[in-house]
Amino acid sequence: MLEGGVVGQSVQRVDGLVKVTGESYFAADEKVPAALVLKVLRSRVAHAVVKRIDISEAEKIPGVVRVFTYADIPGENSYGIMVKDQPVLTDKIRFIGDAIALVVAENPDAARKGAEAVKVETEELPPLYDVWSAMAEGAPPIHDKGNILTVGRVKKGDAAAALSRADVVISRLYRTQRVEHLYLETEAGIAYPEHNGLTIKVSTQNPHYDRRDVARVLGLPMNRVRIIQTPTGGGFGGKLDISVQCFLALAAWKLRRPVRMLYDREESFIATAKRHPFIIDYTSGANREGQLLAVKVRIIGDTGAYASYGPATLIRAAVHATGPYEVPSVDIEGLCVYTNNPFSGAMRGFGTPQMAFAFESQMDLLAQALQISPLEIRRRNILRPGSATATGQVLSDSVGIAKTLAAAWEKACQVMPGLGGENQ
Amino acid sequence: MDRFPLHMKVNGTQMTVDVDPGMRLLDVLRDVLGLTGTKEGCGEGECGVCSVILDGKIVDSCLVLAPQVQGREIITIEGVARNGELDILQEAFLEAGAVQCGFCTPGMILAGKALLDKNSHPDRREIARAISGNLCRCTGYAKIVKAVELAAARRSGKEGATGA
Amino acid sequence: MKKHGYGIGNMWYGVGNTAAPNPSGAFVDFLDDGTVIVLSGCADIGQGSSTVLAQIAAETLGVGLENVAVIAADTEVTPDAGATSASRQTYISGNAVRFAAEKAREQVIAQAAERLNLPADNVSLKDGQIWHQDEPTGTKIQDVIAQCRSKGILTLGQGWFNPVTTKLDPLTGQGAPYATYAFATQVAEVEADTETGVIEVKRIVAAHDVGRAINPQNVEGQIEGGCIMGMGYALLEEVAVNQGRIENPALSTYLIPTALDIPEMFPVIVEDEEPSGPYGAKGVGEPALVPTAAAIANAVADALGIRLYDLPLTPEKIVAAIRAAAEESELGLNG
Ligand code: FES
Ligand code: FES
Repeated sequence: MLEGGVVGQSVQRVDGLVKVTGESYFAADEKVPAALVLKVLRSRVAHAVVKRIDISEAEKIPGVVRVFTYADIPGENSYGIMVKDQPVLTDKIRFIGDAIALVVAENPDAARKGAEAVKVETEELPPLYDVWSAMAEGAPPIHDKGNILTVGRVKKGDAAAALSRADVVISRLYRTQRVEHLYLETEAGIAYPEHNGLTIKVSTQNPHYDRRDVARVLGLPMNRVRIIQTPTGGGFGGKLDISVQCFLALAAWKLRRPVRMLYDREESFIATAKRHPFIIDYTSGANREGQLLAVKVRIIGDTGAYASYGPATLIRAAVHATGPYEVPSVDIEGLCVYTNNPFSGAMRGFGTPQMAFAFESQMDLLAQALQISPLEIRRRNILRPGSATATGQVLSDSVGIAKTLAAAWEKACQVMPGLGGENQ
Repeated sequence: MDRFPLHMKVNGTQMTVDVDPGMRLLDVLRDVLGLTGTKEGCGEGECGVCSVILDGKIVDSCLVLAPQVQGREIITIEGVARNGELDILQEAFLEAGAVQCGFCTPGMILAGKALLDKNSHPDRREIARAISGNLCRCTGYAKIVKAVELAAARRSGKEGATGA
Repeated sequence: MKKHGYGIGNMWYGVGNTAAPNPSGAFVDFLDDGTVIVLSGCADIGQGSSTVLAQIAAETLGVGLENVAVIAADTEVTPDAGATSASRQTYISGNAVRFAAEKAREQVIAQAAERLNLPADNVSLKDGQIWHQDEPTGTKIQDVIAQCRSKGILTLGQGWFNPVTTKLDPLTGQGAPYATYAFATQVAEVEADTETGVIEVKRIVAAHDVGRAINPQNVEGQIEGGCIMGMGYALLEEVAVNQGRIENPALSTYLIPTALDIPEMFPVIVEDEEPSGPYGAKGVGEPALVPTAAAIANAVADALGIRLYDLPLTPEKIVAAIRAAAEESELGLNG
């Protein structure tokens, strides 16, 4: 293999020039003559059945071209990367912000007035705002299959027995919050009929997945849907889901006209995924030498109204729950639970930042209990070539944690004058 | 509302456009003049991606109404490079790796320019303060601060004083 | 009173989807004039994947970066590269591009070997030229491509890569969910104000094992951006939801770190090469943020001698915790 070439060089980004001159066209910058604009009517209640939607007044508003509801979806009215549980336009409301009607208009003002003029009759259902009430016996199911979406387990050895033999056992309950990706570019896109199909230019992290779900919703073969990713102003996991894609597709396809859509900041907050809030019940046991013997971990993630990347987040959290440490016995469970909260999905780290907060707190608590340094307890437990992970995978190559621990500590000793040695 | 003739100088060119008095400067730039290098991220003066230089001062164009710029001078990101040649700041942003998604970049470059036009030797704290109205979610700001430092050094002829 | 504290956060992160196939494909076309087009479905969302894929193609084909154009993320012309998620694009799409480029390269090398009468094993491409072992031959790649064309040979390559994983046992979760893991250690230094409860992060050292840094400056950029996002997660950010309703859906009420909040950051790149990665690379996008909140929380506990178990560590929570601890110790003294 060649060395000393361009790999390993800090070359400038290939798309840098247009980004510093302002010539990079993000989706909202696309110039589309005669494009119609879209506005979604979103639910103000969290859990309800839609009984009737009256669009007659809305369609009379000057400038309003059409109003679409669930009855207008030509293909399947559902999408989702892991579970097809999210309707484009819904007849059952599952969170505050669920999309009920799509107004197509000549200008934003008419679109907004049109959305206000749509009348929706609902029958409210008891809302479930926390995982405990969602999991309770007899809780009203948010989706047909019940409120516990997935349970992921990682089990190895006899954790209970190992914990009972441990010299020190630490048990704590951790909670983490819901956060927003807050990419500076909000969701945006344009769509227009082209050739025999439909083209959508959109801010996205996954154009090929978008194509699958747009084709599904329109009932079109995949080769008639073209998705072009526009320069994307950050994603961090939040632009992995469908946002504006199916709305754009529906309107452009049905009306055979170019359309555009841009979420404002508030809609970007309300209508898209968040980082999962976790409740983590974590027990670790170690022997007197500070060697981890077992962990028992139960994780509950609030995935809100829709699955999005919830199952992937919870299984990744379970698989990574030990941290980069060799633990002979584990008993780990990760539950992904539906509620009527805003939905949670992928966000940078997929459940592992939550787990790192818990497992690294546990390591410091163990160190404290055993009176060894935080550095030392980590050294004694980190994965090394030949170590087996919680899932029984034996690692062979590129197990860099010993190196990062040493490198970080060395650098910290140089740049943090107050650090003063590892045993402080 | 009746449209009115708005006279202003944009990127060195004197111009007059007929606009609605309720229009934001941001929309005048993007929708009337087609200068889409100026972005919108919040519409409430919190993110700075809509920053432009108005008579030498950095402002959020989403908070400025068209009549407020009557007779004034505006510089947008499209006016920073001259005759196809990048400004020292733009070059420094590329070299320092201060650009990731690029959505904050136009506003950041203008905030940096407004600072350097007044203060040719800013320290790190002054740079941070000058760009503190401009959010960036990608870079963690470190390389943006470095880029402004690098540009400052180059502008005052101390080429490479801070390294890239 | 201001108190200093230090905390360590370790992390590991499986690169790619968990125990699920997640292939990526790419096409590479080596054109008549020696320039290159790379077609990949990989969406660059600012992290720099198009640059990294261009570097991998340029390296493999022995041409300058300026001769490579990456056409990305257009479903009508680019093959599926899967999602830009799970820190997978450098490793997985990087491999797809490398394999595609190697196929195009093989065509050129075979022709060059024939033309120069050399064993193909000793021929390589570098700096736009054909090399024989460690010496340039003076023959340009472009000339060999012309020779290919005259014989009706296209110098096209197609490649794809799917990381080797297994399913997880549904009851025990046993299996090999990822082909490789990224690792990192971050150390945070904080200053805690015991009166106001405000935590200031002074410094963060972030050492990341990325396998091989294809573009070190990009890697640093990911690390720094991740640390600051992680700092927001640790101290500042929370979407407040009350009865299902988001109460702070605006930048005026949902605060993220600004340039005035940032600590000194010291990214350290550790390269423990991954044999299955393109030129040894793994991934860094997510790992950058994963251990930050953990390191900061441990530093806060070190500073205060009090540990909090709920993120974010807001001034209100810190003050309440300090007060509760003081009351407890008073009770202890009096009792
Ligand atoms: S759009 Fe003007 S400050 Fe955010
Ligand atoms: S580079 Fe993406 S927001 Fe600054």
